[in-house]
Amino acid sequence: MSGSRKGTQPSDGPPVPDRDPARAAPPPGGLLTRRSAIRAGLAGLLGAPFATSLGASTRPLAPGLRWSGKQGTQPDDEILLGVSAAFSGPSRGLGTELYRGAMSCFGQVNEQGGVNGRRIVLKLYDDGYQPDPCVENTLRLMLEDEVFLLFGYVGTPTVTRVLPLLKKFQDQQMYIFFPFTGAQPQREPPYGEFAFNLRASYGQETAGLVDNFVRIGRRRIAVFYQADAYGRSGWAGVRAALARHGETIAGEATYRRGTQFTSVMRPQVEILQEAEPDAVICVGAYAACAAFARDAMDLGLHVPIANLSFVGSENLLALLMDASSDDPAYYTPWLVNSQVVPSYEDTSIPAVPEYRDLMTRYDPQVPEELVVEPYDPFPYSFTSLEGYLDAKLLTEILGRIDGTPERSKLNDAVFSVRNYDLGIGERVSFGPDRRQGLQSVYYTVVEDGRFVTLSDWDAKFGLDATTSDGAP
Amino acid sequence: MTPPEQQAIRIKRLFRKTRFGIFVLFGAIVFATSTLSIRTVSSQLQEEYESNSANIAKNIADSSVDILLNRNLATLQSLIDQFIEIQSIRYIYITSDTGEILTHTFVPGVPDVIREGDPHATEPIERSLPGMGDFVEVGSPILAGQAGTVHVGMDLDLVRLKIQRATGQQIALICIILIVGVLGSIWFVKLAVTPLEELLSYVVGLARRDPGGMTDARVLARDDEIGEMARLMLHAVKGETTPGAD
Repeated sequence: MSGSRKGTQPSDGPPVPDRDPARAAPPPGGLLTRRSAIRAGLAGLLGAPFATSLGASTRPLAPGLRWSGKQGTQPDDEILLGVSAAFSGPSRGLGTELYRGAMSCFGQVNEQGGVNGRRIVLKLYDDGYQPDPCVENTLRLMLEDEVFLLFGYVGTPTVTRVLPLLKKFQDQQMYIFFPFTGAQPQREPPYGEFAFNLRASYGQETAGLVDNFVRIGRRRIAVFYQADAYGRSGWAGVRAALARHGETIAGEATYRRGTQFTSVMRPQVEILQEAEPDAVICVGAYAACAAFARDAMDLGLHVPIANLSFVGSENLLALLMDASSDDPAYYTPWLVNSQVVPSYEDTSIPAVPEYRDLMTRYDPQVPEELVVEPYDPFPYSFTSLEGYLDAKLLTEILGRIDGTPERSKLNDAVFSVRNYDLGIGERVSFGPDRRQGLQSVYYTVVEDGRFVTLSDWDAKFGLDATTSDGAP
Repeated sequence: MTPPEQQAIRIKRLFRKTRFGIFVLFGAIVFATSTLSIRTVSSQLQEEYESNSANIAKNIADSSVDILLNRNLATLQSLIDQFIEIQSIRYIYITSDTGEILTHTFVPGVPDVIREGDPHATEPIERSLPGMGDFVEVGSPILAGQAGTVHVGMDLDLVRLKIQRATGQQIALICIILIVGVLGSIWFVKLAVTPLEELLSYVVGLARRDPGGMTDARVLARDDEIGEMARLMLHAVKGETTPGAD
């Protein structure tokens, strides 16, 4: 994470003066760096559509910060969205891909004149998928940067810690839009009223996985999960789904958040092997889940290993394919991943070609000031498609605000979305008692080095479908 | 050995005995103070840590009622994850009224000792968890046990280390006081012994009828008891050697 406030703000035209003197201030030393000056100039010359602003989460939060009393009123030429996400650490792929997908949409929106003449600008902070930095970033976004709303957040442990802040400042009507998590806390009281979700919940994902496994005779289901709120959310979903079938969790093992792919998961695999499961549902991030899938295969735990959408399927697959130089598919035959958006390979879905076109055209990159570890983005991914859909729907909502954007008008704008066609076949509706736009869950498996839709569970993972060498 | 030399040795012996006495006295004080200090600090810290753990368990139990009744386990996990960051608290788990472990902080899994333990226990229990260490576990009922029980595990090794550090600091302080006290006492004794040695030397001179020694102005000039004794002895010796003197 950048430790300085560089003020680099590419825009869709000549650099736009910042409304906030603090935000417009040059970096320590009083002058723009040469690189940022060149970047700002180039952005102006090229008419870059990406509007981002970087924050410095390492700077201590000023004590005694208060709301400015502006009630979220935005300047005439922009709408500022606040983002705190994982751009560093083992889960940086999630924040990066989600951001890329969102910016492919906002890039086009800004290029076409913005929302009612206002550019959409993102103020970015990196939280590394850690709760405390996320809380600090959020306070900074709300109190210092005075963003209009929060958007593009990644993760359950981070978002669940932010929700009480939104309740604390409920008079200011600050909302978080479409966080990249399917956890329950932002879907139910006491915090549900401060969040709007697009994706299906982890409860729906785990219920779908459990129902399908039980249907094909795999009733002993174990859980491998991250030892935090995200893992617990998934664990609770599996437990509830199994209870509906009269079953309980067959075994469980945990890992610490931030675990790398190089970590050894033998203890976890051995714990689950003792439970003799028919399937394992993983509730984790891609690095740890890939490490678990690798060690499970190596130690002979040959059962379907399911991952939730949060895992970051492409990142998981890339790690596993790289891990086996002889046979890239060695570690992947048992994988089944649930998704909350349709396959980006299915171009018959109207939103998919739109998304692919914009990703190709803009190829958005995380500002280099936020890049502390190398990361090669994917041309397309489930995560970036979700980011794109999030941004598309948010653009639609912002466009429905009458007159000057004010947070007090947001609820009405969101609730006016009824049967909106996002282009993925499922229509989106919101209301006071309906704060989640999509309900569908999709299932994918690996074929020829990529995730494809799973059409026949029985044929792929049925107990009779397993070959003599243990492969499905 | 000449008699004066024997007298000089006697004074050294007297000094050695005094020094030994000081060492014994201070050693006894240090031993008694350290023992009392270790016992007091140890028991107080142990009680304090147990009390803190019990308070944390109660705090979580009080905060968990609504969350548990709403079956919001992710929020509950988020809550206990914040407490686990407190030093010396190594694990937390919450059991339901039926004894099921609803949320916990164990990695890579819940130890068998915990699974097989009493899910409703609230009294402090010492546990030894394989691969993790020794712990004191305290429990607190949620909604009088109707909604479950919070269990907080305190790392005994860490507590022992802290107790050792605290008592070590106390003993170090006492030892410093001992050393300073002994050195100070030796210095004070030496203050008393040095004039005595001068007096002895003077008396030896008198005994030898050494003309130079008899008129040692340094000793005779002293205005303390040593000086008075020297003058008295000189007077007595002169009385012996001058017939008719009274």
